[in-house]
Amino acid sequence: MAIKFPSDEWIKELSAALNKSESYGQVAATWEGDNIFVVLPDADYPDTAYLYINLQHGKASDARRLSSLDEQKALFTTSAPFNTWRKVLEGRLDPIQGMFSGKLKLVGSMAQVQRTPKATYEMVKVASQIDTDFGS
Amino acid sequence: MNGYLGKILRVDLDRSRLWDEPLNEDYARDYVGGSGLAARYLYDKLDAKTDPLGPENPLFFLTGPLVGTSMTSSGRYSVCARSPLTGIWGEANSGGFFGPELRYAGYDGVLITGKAEQPVWLSIVNGQVGLHAAGDLWGSDIYITQTRLRDALSDPKVRVACIGLAGENMVKLAGIANDHGRFAARTGLGAVMGSKNLKAIGVRGTGKVPLYAPDKFRTITNQVLALYKDDFPAQSLRAYGTAGYVNLSHMLGDLPIRYFQLGEHTQADDLSGVDLAEKFLTRNTACHKCVIACGRQTQSPIFNDSKVDGPEYETVGALGSLLMIFDLEAVIHAGHLCNLFGMDIISLGVTIGLACELFERGLLTAADTGGLEIRYGDAAMVFRLIELTARREGFGALLAEGNAALAEHAGVPELSATVNRLEIPMHDPRAYLGMAVTYALSPRGACHMQGDMFSLDLGQSNLEEIGLEPSDRHANNYEKGRTAARLQAWRNLYNSLTLCQFENPGVRMLVAAINSATGWGLEPDDLIKLGKRIVTIKRLVNFKLGLTRANDRLPDLLLKPLKEGGSAGYKPDMAALLAGAYAEFGWDPESGYPLEDLHLLP
Repeated sequence: MAIKFPSDEWIKELSAALNKSESYGQVAATWEGDNIFVVLPDADYPDTAYLYINLQHGKASDARRLSSLDEQKALFTTSAPFNTWRKVLEGRLDPIQGMFSGKLKLVGSMAQVQRTPKATYEMVKVASQIDTDFGS
Repeated sequence: MNGYLGKILRVDLDRSRLWDEPLNEDYARDYVGGSGLAARYLYDKLDAKTDPLGPENPLFFLTGPLVGTSMTSSGRYSVCARSPLTGIWGEANSGGFFGPELRYAGYDGVLITGKAEQPVWLSIVNGQVGLHAAGDLWGSDIYITQTRLRDALSDPKVRVACIGLAGENMVKLAGIANDHGRFAARTGLGAVMGSKNLKAIGVRGTGKVPLYAPDKFRTITNQVLALYKDDFPAQSLRAYGTAGYVNLSHMLGDLPIRYFQLGEHTQADDLSGVDLAEKFLTRNTACHKCVIACGRQTQSPIFNDSKVDGPEYETVGALGSLLMIFDLEAVIHAGHLCNLFGMDIISLGVTIGLACELFERGLLTAADTGGLEIRYGDAAMVFRLIELTARREGFGALLAEGNAALAEHAGVPELSATVNRLEIPMHDPRAYLGMAVTYALSPRGACHMQGDMFSLDLGQSNLEEIGLEPSDRHANNYEKGRTAARLQAWRNLYNSLTLCQFENPGVRMLVAAINSATGWGLEPDDLIKLGKRIVTIKRLVNFKLGLTRANDRLPDLLLKPLKEGGSAGYKPDMAALLAGAYAEFGWDPESGYPLEDLHLLP
């Protein structure tokens, strides 16, 4: 059954999927940093959602939906409107293209992102394989 | 004439004669400035008989209408002539402060012909010009030369463009340095300067660029400035320089490895710009009015280099991964040697890369090289070859002729990694197939600055208004060819303005800046028309110099798919891509000549 995005259940599913992924474990072996994905409102999603996940050395933990940014600090915050996230998760927007074009706004250690772009790609690949319900 | 100083300095070195000539306003309106304007001027002065290293080859330093203004990243200038390396249109561009200073001194450009009897240098100080004996400077490296000119003119604010030993020795890979270690590097124009016995040009001025609507211009440039605060590419360039792209480039298969024959390598990420910043960066450097400051000043303790300009991404590729050298300090040192002698790092790296490959294949042996064993991964050998090339000593005399000449010498022209004899830069066209068009149609031979499809397809996205949008980097069709041609027009306009390509404020903002500087009243679509006209005039110069439609091709080496990495299995479909490009430019697909009336010539 499809899991609603953005939800607590969805980010927990991503965490489980990343932990199962051998290839993510390999390419993200040097990755250190927790993330908050901020889903901003747009025509198809009226709210703001905050999805937290801790990523360390190819493993994910502590995934949950936050009520606000005050609840948890993170090394990275990536923000985009709901439909931009949808495009990324459906493979219609390359995540690096998204960052370079400003469609995905990243705040955090650029060194990590630039040194290990494969980790970003692999995470998106794993996320895109989740059976996701975007509500339409 | 708003946006221009309205004057060109003419220098006849045969007669030691200097005079001012009014800028041709019609040419400026149609070809803007920089390399576009130079192409229009030189169209009448070049033909197939022009010896690139003869006194008759005109050497043109030119700026554009935004140079030296408050527009961000407006510190560039162009140098143009017939290239001794390629025999076709030669063009090199550089940042820093030399271009703005030339304008403050009262000139849009300097057009040099003839050959001085003895080495000279040229001074341009607030409209006062002079030639000076440079015998005591001959043999000096580019840093000493710049310091000596500032001392001679008793002004630390003097900006200098000069050649090193390579230019003096007419090495065909020689560039022209300015503002410490910035280079108008490509197409061997340092050798043209050397052939004229012109060691350096020192400029200093206190004037201003006249603007049509100064207050409006200032408002626009402030708006442009604000764009870079949260801009991801700008932040990345500031933090890690152009070499910050190394890891991503490697992942995408864009970083050439082992002379363009490997798609990935376990050690390639060791050349990361992040590591460079963390271990070797001493400070950032910036050009005129630049808030990005992508320039690197680094150090290499092992080699006792305390102050090195660079390395850029291109250096890391050409003197690193291409040669199977994965030690950043060795790359820093090799780049520094190239800077000291004044050589184009891309061309030299690709030429040394071919030497390594020829040794691997047994097509070159120590008997051919004066006893040198030239192998991949041997940094010490690269250091030695750089110096031999600059001095034209031993095997270096052959390297000094460039990659295509070396391939021909070895009897394997198919192993050359050049387009129209200019060495391929560090963006593999199999990673971004649109780059195949950029390289094949580039007016100066293989050049990534004539249409950065890697930037567009990576997400640079504020050009939709003129039909330039990111798309699948491996699309291999007519439409990709059209897009690549359109981008080539856009970047040729940039090289004529002459603006830095990291400055991308979007079409509307750029039009507004140009209009308020010049009073021209351009519309967004006019920019592409200007760009196409500029590409086409350069093409017509090249046809005069002997190129034909058959020259619009990639080398065989880059038409073979790689077996591994992010571009594995891909090769450009040249027929489809070029068909789209010709259609976009309005060129006859059979002859390659322009079909549309672009008001090119009177």
